Amino acid sequence: MTLRTGSTTEESRAPAAVPPVRPAPKKKQKNFDGYWPWLFVLPTLLGVLGFYIWPIIQTGYLSFTETGPFGGEEFIGLDNYQTMLADGNVGQALINTLVYTVIVLAGIPIALLMANLVNQPGLKFASFYRVLFFMPYIAMPTAVALVWRMIYNGDFGILNWLLSLVGIDGPYWTSTPGFAIVSVGIVGMWASLGFGIIILGAALKNISPEYYEAAQLDGATKWKQFTAITVPLVTPSLFFVTIISVINGFQLFDLLYAIMGQYNPALVQSQSLVYIFYNQAFIQNDKGYAAAIGMLILVVIGIVTFFQFRMQKKWVNYV
Amino acid sequence: MRKLTRLAPLALVAALALTSCSAPAASDEAVTADSAASISYAIWDENQVPALEANIAAFNEIYPNIEVKIDITPWAQYFTKLQTQASGDTLPDVFWMNGPNFQLYAANDQLEPMTNVIDDGSVDPANYVEVLNDLYSYDDVQYGMPKDFDTVALWYNQAILTEAGVATPDDTWTWDDFHTAAKTVSDNLADQGIYGVATGLTGGQEGYYNTILQAGGSILSDDGTTSGYDDPKTIRGLQFWADLIADGSSPNLQQLSDTPHNAWFTSSKTAFFWSGTWSVAELAAASNTLDLNVAPLPQDEKQATVIHGLANVVSANSANKGAAQAFQAYLGSEEAQTLQAEMGAANPAFIGAGQAFLDSVDHFDLQVFIDEADNYAYPFPVSKDTAAWTSIENELLPQAFSGARTVEDVADELATRMNEALAAE
Amino acid sequence: MSKESLSPAQQGANSVRTHLVLGIIGFVMVFPFIWQLVISLSTNDQVMSVPPTFWPGDLQWGNFVDVFTKLPFFDQFGVSVGITVIRVIGQVVLCSMAGYAFARMRFRGRGVFLAVILSILMVPPQVYLIPQFQIIQNLGLLNTFIGIALPGIFSAFGVFLMRQIFLGLPLELEEAARLDGANPFQIFYKIMLPLATPGISALVIITTLWSWNDLLWPLVVTTYAEKMPVSAGLATLAGSITTDYPVMMAASVLAMAPVLILFIILQRRVVEGLAFSGSK
Repeated sequence: MTLRTGSTTEESRAPAAVPPVRPAPKKKQKNFDGYWPWLFVLPTLLGVLGFYIWPIIQTGYLSFTETGPFGGEEFIGLDNYQTMLADGNVGQALINTLVYTVIVLAGIPIALLMANLVNQPGLKFASFYRVLFFMPYIAMPTAVALVWRMIYNGDFGILNWLLSLVGIDGPYWTSTPGFAIVSVGIVGMWASLGFGIIILGAALKNISPEYYEAAQLDGATKWKQFTAITVPLVTPSLFFVTIISVINGFQLFDLLYAIMGQYNPALVQSQSLVYIFYNQAFIQNDKGYAAAIGMLILVVIGIVTFFQFRMQKKWVNYV
Repeated sequence: MRKLTRLAPLALVAALALTSCSAPAASDEAVTADSAASISYAIWDENQVPALEANIAAFNEIYPNIEVKIDITPWAQYFTKLQTQASGDTLPDVFWMNGPNFQLYAANDQLEPMTNVIDDGSVDPANYVEVLNDLYSYDDVQYGMPKDFDTVALWYNQAILTEAGVATPDDTWTWDDFHTAAKTVSDNLADQGIYGVATGLTGGQEGYYNTILQAGGSILSDDGTTSGYDDPKTIRGLQFWADLIADGSSPNLQQLSDTPHNAWFTSSKTAFFWSGTWSVAELAAASNTLDLNVAPLPQDEKQATVIHGLANVVSANSANKGAAQAFQAYLGSEEAQTLQAEMGAANPAFIGAGQAFLDSVDHFDLQVFIDEADNYAYPFPVSKDTAAWTSIENELLPQAFSGARTVEDVADELATRMNEALAAE
Repeated sequence: MSKESLSPAQQGANSVRTHLVLGIIGFVMVFPFIWQLVISLSTNDQVMSVPPTFWPGDLQWGNFVDVFTKLPFFDQFGVSVGITVIRVIGQVVLCSMAGYAFARMRFRGRGVFLAVILSILMVPPQVYLIPQFQIIQNLGLLNTFIGIALPGIFSAFGVFLMRQIFLGLPLELEEAARLDGANPFQIFYKIMLPLATPGISALVIITTLWSWNDLLWPLVVTTYAEKMPVSAGLATLAGSITTDYPVMMAASVLAMAPVLILFIILQRRVVEGLAFSGSK
């Protein structure tokens, strides 16, 4: 409550359709915070360098070598990358990974709407609904995959049974190329909604009710309030959820494997980049080539993330 | 990336400080009843733990001070973990090995040869199915102690056969007899959604490896250097399955993916099921088990089945090699393998120790599996880098079985790419 | 329960339509778990048969008993709790400090270091497997709590989350404290950290979940069943040929329960706690 008293001039402008924008960083006004920041970041930085960056550098090096199955490598320059460019499976996997990521991203607006619904003031059973929505996020992939396989089963699944009631002859969801990656994407979306709802729900609670009250006085509809107040004010969290969803989407592996199963004729057309990495590194024992695919994943996500950060100035409003 | 390279030297220093290696000192002294050691034993099948614990208890009556700890890793992660451990020279002292991975580990000096235990008489290879000794030998040196074996036979559901008016299969059946029977079941019982046959077509062990051999073809040349997929007889062995799917005698590949082949059979949705010794426990527990039995595979040019089995191997870097080899040898003993069979864990590789396996399910004619092994079993095809070409099989063959391309066309591409992979070994 | 005390907006919140929509979505979200529960009380034969049986008839409570005979469940539960506590505490301390520095402090190379830390999120975890294993092995930490937990206390995700949280907090209080002569650590610890409680709760939930379900890494750095966490133990129930699905599902239900309870407790804090950090 103390916060509410510390009002600023900006506050009196509420409710603005676009919330107050953070003042531009005061560049001229020096000044570094001395050694303090290093105390804060050094432990993390050292751990990250030792446990993560070093492996990435090693992987980068391996991608220019041909490796023996149990170590020992020979420098071969760009050969692995040339093989990769010529490998149709890699291109297909990149497309599949993108399709999956887009489907998971499509879950973000749904998560926002659901978070909005469940965060309405005075809603009864709100915590109950929140727990329901969150449950898929707790799920262990191997356990839910079995259930989803039963739902998707082309001959005996309930999804096709429901469709047959309305006269639609459903496909073999998980074993038809094209359908398969979409089916996996829907499970991915289902599993990650809970994450979006938590983060976005927290952000929603940050919005002062005064904005809405004022908007109501102006006669704004619920939808107008949602688009003009809610969405702009949660953009930092939306930005965060988007970045994380893209990164997680690109790491599709367990879920694909668990849902499609090992006897799937569509597996080759439906594999993801990480799937190819895993297959090359641990099944085919070609760690050099696998490393090149690992670097491809890093570069693709890196580029996408870089542009997201560049673009954020256009749509993300920090308070 | 510019950002990363600037940090590289720092990370290098940090990592070098961390990667100071400590090589384990190998102790090769002879093991006696008093030897004390602790060894690890890595396996992947949780169901076999009780039998293996009984083995360990019996082993400890001879070597009371050698502690054996079981390290269980699920099948899906087993070889990933082994590779990670091999990269740090910390392979388990004793571990399970399968055919497709064996040569990779043997050729790269990860496994301890059995030469000394064979020379000193603690193991006599003549006691084991010969094909399995060969499977676990590399450059004429044996590394693996055969543990158990699988052959493939024709499981059938008598109730469905009777209802469809089809005779019970026997050892005179040809491919034509089989195909006619399967088609008849699919036609007569279509209204119940029952098909003739289901088998696993990802990996050849259950299905197409057997028919390729029966047709007189081969998957891999005897010296392991060239593909057999361009042989017309091999193509005939593949065509067999494409035909069964094409005329509806078998569910198609998508149906076999959505509902695995064993589920079709245990749900009484197919009359026949090509599968191996490993299915005995599952089929004995199925609700329709009393309708089920097993017969020899049908024949074409000849009778044939692939045979495969697991082996126990010792790590070349084991710190307790003596104790590990003593345990490896013990696991191959008649006593240990009989116990495995009695506890229903596996069909033993020790010739003659399988009686308990035969007695394990009264209403199955399990002698079929032993007879096949004795008379017309062919080794599971493996090379130094088996995974490289089995993944090509799994990529291409679905196109043949689904009818998307002709079998000849697919087999031709498979042979070419497989030969490239073999040349790269 | 007096309706008069609710504002019109609040009454709208409880319309039949709202509850219908929420109920339907909630059912869709939770349906797979209901089925999972049903499977955990079925026989394996029922699970493997087609068409599926939706109700097993005779409930197989023995599947839950089997979990305890097939797995050293209590040992594994202890390991799961141990590594999760280490990771959660480690991440809360390290990530909130680093996140705060990246959000509010000025220092040379800030952008570069943030990019470096974020870059580790972009590589699939499988890439780290062998190098991290070798580090843990060389530190002599195989088969230990610390060995399983150590790499996971450093989290790029957590740093990024906390940075975003701190970026969303008002500047004024900090400036006031600075004028009062508080040092940066005091400002962080006494003023900003309490404000970030809802974000920390979210971090606790997410880290707990990730740690609880983490599979490949613990499998590789542990050797014996009683040293494994529950997630890895569960996976060992999956056979190479056949799997006893009901027992696996029962184990998974048991494994999920504590996390669900933690969420039920914490979700109030996440949501209600946030009311204090009104951003206006």
